[in-house]
Amino acid sequence: MDYLATILLLAISTALINNMVFHFFVGNCPFIGVSRKLDTAFGMGAAVTFVTTIAALLSWLITWAVLAPGAPLTTWVWHLIRPDAKGVVDLSILNYVVYIFVIAWAVQLVEMYVRKFFPALYKAFGVFLPLITTNCVILFVCLEIMKHVPSAGDVPDPWGLDKALIYAFCAGLGFLIAIVIMAGMREEIEHCDVPKPLQGPGITLIMAGILSLAFLGFTGMDSNLAKILKPAPTPAPEIKAAPPPAS
Amino acid sequence: MKKQNYIADAWLVILLSLLFGGGLAGVQASLKPRIDANKLGDTLSQIPALVPGSTRGEKADAGEAVVYKALDAAGATTGWVIPASGQGFADRLELLIGLDATGGRITGLYVLDQKETPGLGDNITAKAWRDQYAGKATDKPIVVRKTKPEAPNEIQAITGATISSDSVTAIANAAVAKFRTDLAGGGIH
Amino acid sequence: MSNDGPTPLERFVQGIIPENPVLRQVLGICPTLAVTNTMEGAMTMTGAVLFVLACANVLISLIRGMLKPHLRILVFTLTIAAFVTVADRLLAAFMYDMSKQLGPYIPLIIVNCIIIARCEICAAKQGVWTAFSDAVGQSLGFGLALGCIATVREVLGFGTWFGKWLGWHVIPASIPTDVWSPWVIMVLPPGAFLTLGLLLGATNWMTARTKKA
Repeated sequence: MDYLATILLLAISTALINNMVFHFFVGNCPFIGVSRKLDTAFGMGAAVTFVTTIAALLSWLITWAVLAPGAPLTTWVWHLIRPDAKGVVDLSILNYVVYIFVIAWAVQLVEMYVRKFFPALYKAFGVFLPLITTNCVILFVCLEIMKHVPSAGDVPDPWGLDKALIYAFCAGLGFLIAIVIMAGMREEIEHCDVPKPLQGPGITLIMAGILSLAFLGFTGMDSNLAKILKPAPTPAPEIKAAPPPAS
Repeated sequence: MKKQNYIADAWLVILLSLLFGGGLAGVQASLKPRIDANKLGDTLSQIPALVPGSTRGEKADAGEAVVYKALDAAGATTGWVIPASGQGFADRLELLIGLDATGGRITGLYVLDQKETPGLGDNITAKAWRDQYAGKATDKPIVVRKTKPEAPNEIQAITGATISSDSVTAIANAAVAKFRTDLAGGGIH
Repeated sequence: MSNDGPTPLERFVQGIIPENPVLRQVLGICPTLAVTNTMEGAMTMTGAVLFVLACANVLISLIRGMLKPHLRILVFTLTIAAFVTVADRLLAAFMYDMSKQLGPYIPLIIVNCIIIARCEICAAKQGVWTAFSDAVGQSLGFGLALGCIATVREVLGFGTWFGKWLGWHVIPASIPTDVWSPWVIMVLPPGAFLTLGLLLGATNWMTARTKKA
């Protein structure tokens, strides 16, 4: 139950409260560029969700096994080369370079796989796949996971693979929700008389501003939910063997 | 296409990767001590303000837990500083809590990191509000009230930000209780 | 080869207003929105982009003769990612406060379309000096757009300008709060979207007027 509550809270907080587009501003280029039609917007959102999850899986595994300070695989290889070596091997400087290539590779892989085995799915969002290598949502998710991969260093809130995957999936879902809402609104605004200078990106950004105002309403939902789901483990902590207060 | 062609095509990529790898290793080796010092300094620089009478701090030997020891100019222990974190209203809160040498009284509280609502919840960083924690005895948990505090272990919540105030207090209570147990058990030196 | 296309000076000037990366090309929206609640954030971001773009442009321009067309993007990405890592570490070492404030947005420069677009459009085709002045011009244009947004957001949201570095109070703190109080909305995400949207509108409006005149 406690585990389920943690997962549910993480999911809500990622998809709604800290929405990728409205809270962290990542993925704004496709959010503005590909939100003109509802079906293409949905395709884009689905593609991002899919690739984000796969990239998160790969980057968690690579970070945990190779890149993080004191990672098992790196340490093992290092001890093969230098059996007498001491200290922690730390490859975290390579994080950014590795992530961007993991993402590019994942996108290629997913494109080939989907084209071959799920032609229907490929028709739905295949055309967007090459575009999303430079989608900030995916790199942002990888960077966020990087901060939480358990390692020899100080990690304040370590995530296992399960949490990382749920985080990534919900981050993509949040993007999907945002872009679909936006596309629905833009289809309507086609029929409106928008002042000429604001047409295109201008009015889209203003609408995004109002939407993000609406999403602000979710703030605090997680801490209140946490209270309901996890009935107060902390209040009135029992203090044993208290030393006498200082004079 | 013949196999050699791939290698021939990719020589530039391989060469660049090696060059960048070497360059980054150099950057890491030369800057890492500084970055680590910055991270530690973030906490250590707060210690004189958190524990009265101390001039500097150092990492204490506390097994798994992270605890900092506050020291005066002569090198005697004047108190402890413990980092604590947990869920706030909007995101994670990271706190530093100063305690006296016996762990019997809170001497100060500092908010290292927060993303609470600007103008409301982020008032938890205001010194006047944080100073309410100073001098509280740690044998009873602190209680947040919406009105003026009456009992000695009570503090007043920020108007319009009760959840933020509650969160800070809950995190502090839990961290202090754990620290006192560790200290009494002799796990901290 | 370097005689083709615009000269260094043209590239430099074009980057600032006529081809402004944010206001005209609507590229790099993510950092534009995320780091502009204070001037300090905006200027640090501009500095980081200037560093990465200048280094990447110069390097790409130097090796442009050896680039294979199908491996081009790979080389660009590798170069940019390496220089972004350097910029990130430098910030963490020398401007730790800013590095903490900007957080993930520094590494996100890797996927900032401005940089890869400049590598592709300018550096892969033209000489080192042209590439360098193009980088400086584009970064200044980027900085200009960020500065505009950050000015609006910081002045309305906090009542200050460069509040942390210089401590300038544009709106005196002594004004009673029932006359004017900071607009919290400007510091929050919606303020970023609204400001950029209106700024884009204003740019288009001014362009249309100049064309008519």
